[in-house]
Amino acid sequence: MAEIKKYTEEELVYLLKSRDTSAFAYLYDNYSSALFGIIYKMLEQRELAEDVLQEAFIKIWNNFSNYDSAKGRLFTWMLNITRNLTIDTIRSKGYKKQAKIHNSENAVDNITDNANTTASFDALGIRKHLTFLKNDQKQIIDLAYFGGFTQDEISKHLAIPLGTVKTRMRAAIIELRKILQN
Amino acid sequence: MNINDIISSGLLELYAMGLSSPEEAAQVGAWVVQYPEVKKELLEIEMSLESYAQAHSMEPSASVKEKIISKITQEEKPNYLSFTKSDAAKAEPVIYRIPSFFKLVAAAMLILLIGSAILNYSYYSKYESANNDLQVAQQKIAEKDSINLAMNKDIDVMTDKNAQPVVLNGTPHSPQSLARIFWMKNTGEVYIDPSNLPAVPAGKQYQLWAIVDGKPISGGMISTEKGIYHIQKMKSFGKADAFAITLEKAGGSPAPTMDAMIVISKI
Repeated sequence: MAEIKKYTEEELVYLLKSRDTSAFAYLYDNYSSALFGIIYKMLEQRELAEDVLQEAFIKIWNNFSNYDSAKGRLFTWMLNITRNLTIDTIRSKGYKKQAKIHNSENAVDNITDNANTTASFDALGIRKHLTFLKNDQKQIIDLAYFGGFTQDEISKHLAIPLGTVKTRMRAAIIELRKILQN
Repeated sequence: MNINDIISSGLLELYAMGLSSPEEAAQVGAWVVQYPEVKKELLEIEMSLESYAQAHSMEPSASVKEKIISKITQEEKPNYLSFTKSDAAKAEPVIYRIPSFFKLVAAAMLILLIGSAILNYSYYSKYESANNDLQVAQQKIAEKDSINLAMNKDIDVMTDKNAQPVVLNGTPHSPQSLARIFWMKNTGEVYIDPSNLPAVPAGKQYQLWAIVDGKPISGGMISTEKGIYHIQKMKSFGKADAFAITLEKAGGSPAPTMDAMIVISKI
């Protein structure tokens, strides 16, 4: 994927607010695979995950005027929309999760397997570093990020108080930041 | 809550992962607008998680992008007509009224179409029968024309200044019969008018004879096809003592059957 155009996040947001469809195509090219990875890991059904991805991007386009760059990065806002749609899908009557993630080891294995064939060069580099994350740190990030678990569910699942979820999450992400900075 | 407490609360991380409740999210939003340090911290958390997500990315099928792009470009079309979203919402009830009007128009058009089809059918049948009548009439005219032409020929023969009329009177076998010959003195052409001969029995035909130097010579068969007894051209004779007509078998005989002589002339 040779991208000729490169936008800064500010430029991209400006163009999207003025309803520029080519900027939207750029947005899709840059973020769809990261969002799709998350949706897929939450749903574990490719076709359904693609439907949700489609729905998410259309919602992103239609509600773009609601995005406020003062309150966070574009990806965070898009992730919120995507996660909410995915969780709605999980809770809908028709959905049956084929294999629920109970074992976080398995979850991480699955993630690694699935990502192997499609991850970019950069992503491979980052993943190499991620092996330095401790298992329990990886577990809590993956449960939250890819498991579709809420804070309460993580608390129950790991049998730790809600406050501990927050502090452990913070510790795990501080570790992640350290690893990525090196 | 001071800045350090905010940063160490873990809420920024949950917010960046999309795990915060709406209340928590609103709280974090307010903090990042208020405190640059909080915003900086959040930014770093977001970027690390973004990298984490990118590291676990998966390619969706190419068709997803096509579907999304075609859908949003379709939805964008109303913008070219400078509708705002609220304009479009207001216009909706009007859009619903239009179809009922069109339904009426459509119904009216359907009735007109059916009516037109019936008229078409009826006019076409009339046209067909008129066309048939015309053909019959034309055929009759053509028949009349050919009769007229034949009659004109007859008249031409009769009124020719060189035509010498020869009357053939009925023999004792057929006293009522009569025939006439128009003999062209200049060319020797012989025309017979058989119109006063009796109808020919089936399988028989009239044959003309010329008596030349006391011997009968065939002058040809007289056509009475379709019961029409026109003046017709026979064989030419430069000289003849007399003419006679006998009733022979169809196609004629080499010598006249004397018993079947119908008419005979004297010159």
